[in-house]
Amino acid sequence: MTMSLLLASVAVALALVMLLSLYRVVSGPSIFDRLTGLGLIGSKMIVLLLVLGAWSERVDLYVDIALSYGLISFVGTLVMAKYFEATGGPAGGSR
Amino acid sequence: MNVVAAVMLVLGFGFVLSGVIGILRLPDFYCRLHAMGTCDTLGVALMIGGLALSEGLTLTSLKMLLVLVFVSLANPTATHALGRAAVRAGFTPWTAPRGEDEP
Repeated sequence: MTMSLLLASVAVALALVMLLSLYRVVSGPSIFDRLTGLGLIGSKMIVLLLVLGAWSERVDLYVDIALSYGLISFVGTLVMAKYFEATGGPAGGSR
Repeated sequence: MNVVAAVMLVLGFGFVLSGVIGILRLPDFYCRLHAMGTCDTLGVALMIGGLALSEGLTLTSLKMLLVLVFVSLANPTATHALGRAAVRAGFTPWTAPRGEDEP
């Protein structure tokens, strides 16, 4: 198996796994379940960007995008966790 | 070198897949948080390490190692922040019903 075929199949499999964790975002019983799924999608998106860059042989261009995406996703998760810690989540969403 | 990178990619994807199965199947928010914090950090770190190993020693692979260090610092921090927020918002952990082993 060549490296290009392996990278393409890993990219497709990562996209399918992100779709599976989107299920937890859509139908999570509480708001923190949705945030968990969102963080999972964010950390897989970093790897998907790097794999796509290595597949198209322009990884020097994709690595900066991956780094800034990871920074923004991390800060967004922290801010949303602090916000829903203060408010306790929307009504009817908590268990 | 390419064989080691391919093995690290596939192994890391196995960890990521087990984390996603855990987040779909486990019964409680804290159990799902455990699946996110452990499996996902190790899987993402292994996959980025494999890609950096296949790239060779360049500036790009050093940036990839920077992404690896950042992910392995940020992902447990985000997991801990989510768990602490859930505790302070009043979530109680799930326990098995008395007298049963399986939920």
